[in-house]
Amino acid sequence: MSLSARVTWRSFQAGALRMIFPGLASLPFGIGFGVAAAQKGLSAFETTLMSFTVMAGTSQMVALDIWAQPLPLIALAVSVFVANLRYFVMGAALQPHLPHLPWWLQPPVWYVTVDQNWALNIAEYRRGEGDLGKFLGGGAIMACIWSGSTLLGHLAAGGVLSDPGTARRFGLDFVAIAVFVVVATIMFRGKRDLTPWAVAIAAALASKWLIGGNWYIVIGGLAGGFYGALRDTYFKKRDVRPS
Amino acid sequence: MSAHPETLIAIFVMALAAMLAKGGGFLAMRWLGRHRFVVAVLDHAPGAVLVSAAVVPLTQSGGAFVAGAVAAAVVTRTFGGFTPGLFAAVGAVALTRWAGLA
Repeated sequence: MSLSARVTWRSFQAGALRMIFPGLASLPFGIGFGVAAAQKGLSAFETTLMSFTVMAGTSQMVALDIWAQPLPLIALAVSVFVANLRYFVMGAALQPHLPHLPWWLQPPVWYVTVDQNWALNIAEYRRGEGDLGKFLGGGAIMACIWSGSTLLGHLAAGGVLSDPGTARRFGLDFVAIAVFVVVATIMFRGKRDLTPWAVAIAAALASKWLIGGNWYIVIGGLAGGFYGALRDTYFKKRDVRPS
Repeated sequence: MSAHPETLIAIFVMALAAMLAKGGGFLAMRWLGRHRFVVAVLDHAPGAVLVSAAVVPLTQSGGAFVAGAVAAAVVTRTFGGFTPGLFAAVGAVALTRWAGLA
């Protein structure tokens, strides 16, 4: 097993601790989801179980939108898969850092691949400081906070906790985006990242405007990735002239 | 604590679909191997995903979020590390709203 795939209790704890604050970012959304799930007739147990097993807020919200009796299983599966396509790109980016991961550790790694946890850990893997224990610990605490917040929302449906204004007043509605900005700043490598990132931003804005939904993350990520790869492999190769 | 069997099946199907999306990219990389172009795509994709995820909410949510993003970038660049930038970002958003600037 490579060093990047080691798991220790100490690193698991460290990963869990550092993700508490970013995990709290999901509180308002989780509470909102809990309230919405209660209104759709899901029990507190069903709401918590869904949050803990699916652990992908946007896709859960999309699923609630089409939740009706009899339950449309195929539509639910397709909508959850499509709403989570950005994780396909994230998983692909993660794999080269964990090439010798044992098969039994792969599903837990996929499970903890959620936005903020992935962002923070991929940055460390790229610096050669990746630690699987921290990745799993961060994901575990995020799963607990997310599931707990949806339960809280379900129990307090309609109460003061479902008021998004409270989180807004303290700027907590920005935490999730702040994680992306902070990690992007850490990952920024100067001039070589400028044009791929500009392409990603343009593609993301265009897809939001043209398609809507949350496709902009997948499209922007792929556009920036492909542009950077084309520039680094094809265009640079064409610039090489025989001496 | 109550649960309908039909709802439990739906939750299982949803969890499976989410895992398929999360694990699909990871598994696909095993088959695609370490081709030079694929490696180059994955070298740029993480940063591109992050800026894409941030830019749309930033353009849609107005001044407070932009102030938060600027504070996050400046503090992270100046002090390094994850936590100072995160706290600065949240503080800047709260402060901007409190001051009535956004």
